[in-house]
Amino acid sequence: MRGWFFPVLVGLVLAFVGYNVAMVQFPRVLMELATHRIAKGAGYNNMFAAPLATDKARAIVRPSPDLAYSTCPFDLSDGPVLVEVAPVPAPYWSLSVFDARTDAAYVRNNVEANNQPIRIAIAQEGQPVPDSMAAVRVKGTTGIALIRVLVQDRRQFAAIDAARRKSRCKGLS
Amino acid sequence: MRPWIRYAICGVLGLALGAGAAVQRVRTGALGANRAIGPWTTGSDFGTARAGPLTRAIVSLRGLLALPAHEARYYNAAVDSTGAVLDGRCRYRVSGGSIPAKWWSLTLYDHPGYLVANQANIFSVASAAVPNSAKWDVVVAPAEQAGLWLPTGRIERFELTLRAYLPDDGGMGSMTRDQLPAIVKEGC
Repeated sequence: MRGWFFPVLVGLVLAFVGYNVAMVQFPRVLMELATHRIAKGAGYNNMFAAPLATDKARAIVRPSPDLAYSTCPFDLSDGPVLVEVAPVPAPYWSLSVFDARTDAAYVRNNVEANNQPIRIAIAQEGQPVPDSMAAVRVKGTTGIALIRVLVQDRRQFAAIDAARRKSRCKGLS
Repeated sequence: MRPWIRYAICGVLGLALGAGAAVQRVRTGALGANRAIGPWTTGSDFGTARAGPLTRAIVSLRGLLALPAHEARYYNAAVDSTGAVLDGRCRYRVSGGSIPAKWWSLTLYDHPGYLVANQANIFSVASAAVPNSAKWDVVVAPAEQAGLWLPTGRIERFELTLRAYLPDDGGMGSMTRDQLPAIVKEGC
């Protein structure tokens, strides 16, 4: 058994390393999977207006059935991505940008925006952004820009849906 | 046995056990398990760089794309006010008062975090539907109920998520047990 002491010690150290590496990588992997899954809707750097969530919705966990979601899975490999949000006739709407680590790099709602359009450029550190655009710097090349719109009454959804489809997302390169 | 084989066996086993333990820890973790208030659990660092690895991992599994606390607070309940697991074959009364936020909603999910199929296609109750925001009741039950009803779809185990958007305190603090709704089982 003496010959096993150091190998077991190495195994314990690697178990500690494995635990921590897996814990850190877990969100990155799930975020990447979610980004890829959402990109099946309209591709990367395009806005996809998802239908209201029902029990059939599987793109993301814990969707809110009270919110209409529009998503732009972005890929900054070829340069910054422009996101423009058109105001929507709803008591609440917001734009949030999540990076590859699941951090919200940017959040702005209709109250803060005075119900005016929001225009941002998502970019990595060092990528040039036109002066006319607010730059949102993120870590990593991929992530998700997400528009949430409160739908208080599903009968109002058609008007909200028409308005939110004016929002867009596109590569700047 | 050659020494390098022993190192290889222990090394591979160690890595696998460590990674497996991490996955198991995340899979069994509750959303916002870092703060329990009665039957509700919450966290104030979702979606922020302050979130620790465990919180970040659990949020990515159970509530990906959660907003930071200043925009929305998320309170999750997998148990009732006595601590018993929420059972979709039973009837519960969720009783609340004024929620200090611009708007809120109460949504029912299955354990993995998806909406639950039901014939009425009702998945949530939002603040706009509540006649008296200072005192309200929602009955969570498999069969249709008078008043505000949230169907369980008769699933074995369900969870409730209370979203409070634009909290009055800017997300600086959490709601107290008195401010959060009580979840009382009425029968099965």
